[in-house]
Amino acid sequence: MEFSNLALNLDEIEKKFPDNAIEFFKDKKLCLFKACLEKYFPGVRWGIQDLLEELQLKVETCINQSCCSGTFFQRNLITRAQFAAINERNLNEMNQLADLVLFSCNGCYNSLLRGREFLNNHEVRKKTQEILNQLKEKDNTENYPGKYEILENLNLRLVHDLDFLYLIRNEVLNSLKFDLKNLKVAVHYGCHYLNLSRDKRTAETYLKDKTKLDELVTLFGGNPVDYQEKECCCGWGASQLVIHPKEALKVTLKKLKSAESVNADFMLMPCPTCLYTLSKPEYREKMKKWYGERLDIPTIHLNELIAILRGCEEDRCITLRRKSPRLDEIFEIITQQ
Amino acid sequence: MDEYSDSDWNWDFYEELVDDVDENKNMIQCISCGKCVGDCPASKVTNFNIRKIITKVLRGDKSVLKESDIWYCYLCERCTRVCPKDNINIPLLIINLRNESFKKGYGPQYNDLRKYVEMSKRFLTSGVVVEEPLGDKLPQERIEELDEICNFARIKYVFKASRSNKNRAKRKK
Repeated sequence: MEFSNLALNLDEIEKKFPDNAIEFFKDKKLCLFKACLEKYFPGVRWGIQDLLEELQLKVETCINQSCCSGTFFQRNLITRAQFAAINERNLNEMNQLADLVLFSCNGCYNSLLRGREFLNNHEVRKKTQEILNQLKEKDNTENYPGKYEILENLNLRLVHDLDFLYLIRNEVLNSLKFDLKNLKVAVHYGCHYLNLSRDKRTAETYLKDKTKLDELVTLFGGNPVDYQEKECCCGWGASQLVIHPKEALKVTLKKLKSAESVNADFMLMPCPTCLYTLSKPEYREKMKKWYGERLDIPTIHLNELIAILRGCEEDRCITLRRKSPRLDEIFEIITQQ
Repeated sequence: MDEYSDSDWNWDFYEELVDDVDENKNMIQCISCGKCVGDCPASKVTNFNIRKIITKVLRGDKSVLKESDIWYCYLCERCTRVCPKDNINIPLLIINLRNESFKKGYGPQYNDLRKYVEMSKRFLTSGVVVEEPLGDKLPQERIEELDEICNFARIKYVFKASRSNKNRAKRKK
């Protein structure tokens, strides 16, 4: 049995709705996958949620959804079957309330697709079902009978926020109050978006996904700038920044420095983990201490940027980060009438 | 690079790894072109060299399990993207090698894993890796399910080790 690729078929939607992809989503129930790091960047969640509500799409979050557990799998703290079981539990829960799940985080998106991919291995699938069966045996309460199964013919589809926003870019543009005022933007896609092939169906889509963020910047009135380390990792590296910070911060430093060297006004990315790595003041301090270089370039998540451009209140976009280096300045430039 | 003769190749280690993770069988297609190393973020800042690691595995050289190199991989999948061969899943191979290293007792010791104690604790007690989630908390019954799924996993030992360390510290006081 082959477990299908759960990624939303973007080509099919583009073919069917070449000018108005939003029509495809109008009768769909959308669920926002809650990435853990949105805690530090609430604008990443509110930015997309507010937009979807304004576009009158049905959107909610799933209270029973847990962390994707990618961090623990990547550090060998759980097995493939345990990772797949956590994944299937989340899919079961979200499947009850949605047709589509949207991801603001490259890591979560990769985890959900990867967990599903593991089920193609007979041994992993067998062990995963055994783990889920144990939950069934334990949970026999009346209001919540154990019900987790590996869903073979799952209709639920997964889509990354960047792909989704690109599909409905014309509607997004119409909802904006401000533009990017020709600011120079260094885009960063992030490894688990850029290098991913498990969500792709053709070579064409694989290549096209490498330009979507640049295209959105241009559409929003900005100027995407090329820089040497554009495709390089942010430095997080599946927790390398936690385990080997001195080496990992060299990667982060190189990336930020490369963007600064082409005079980018800010860096834009579609992942809160990359944002955390590239923006955390403590990491910037360490780079100064260890490598003698202070880097001030501001960093913004795509969902936060859309909230700023839509003229949302500060607490719906970047409120917790107003003191970040130069971010305040960018906010003021964009929102001036 | 060292010169190898035919007698240097030993498939035992490779077969063991394929036995454990079927997907590793594609590793044999490696042509040692080095594209994976040229584009690797870890190779730019450390001695991590995936070409060397694959060659060692195919030679049956288990020293890779003892060396620290495998713990420097960023799992960014860049190597898989640039590899001219189909379906060599390098990140999965690295995770598999790390598992073998753990099993043999060479893996990171408690001091390195200590950095995961807080995250493991949060995941097993609240279902997230941060202090608390943005919005609603995961209901208690669902948290118990995560705990059950993780039975016998290393995450639990890391969590337990943190508690026994705390108790030991308390007793000392």
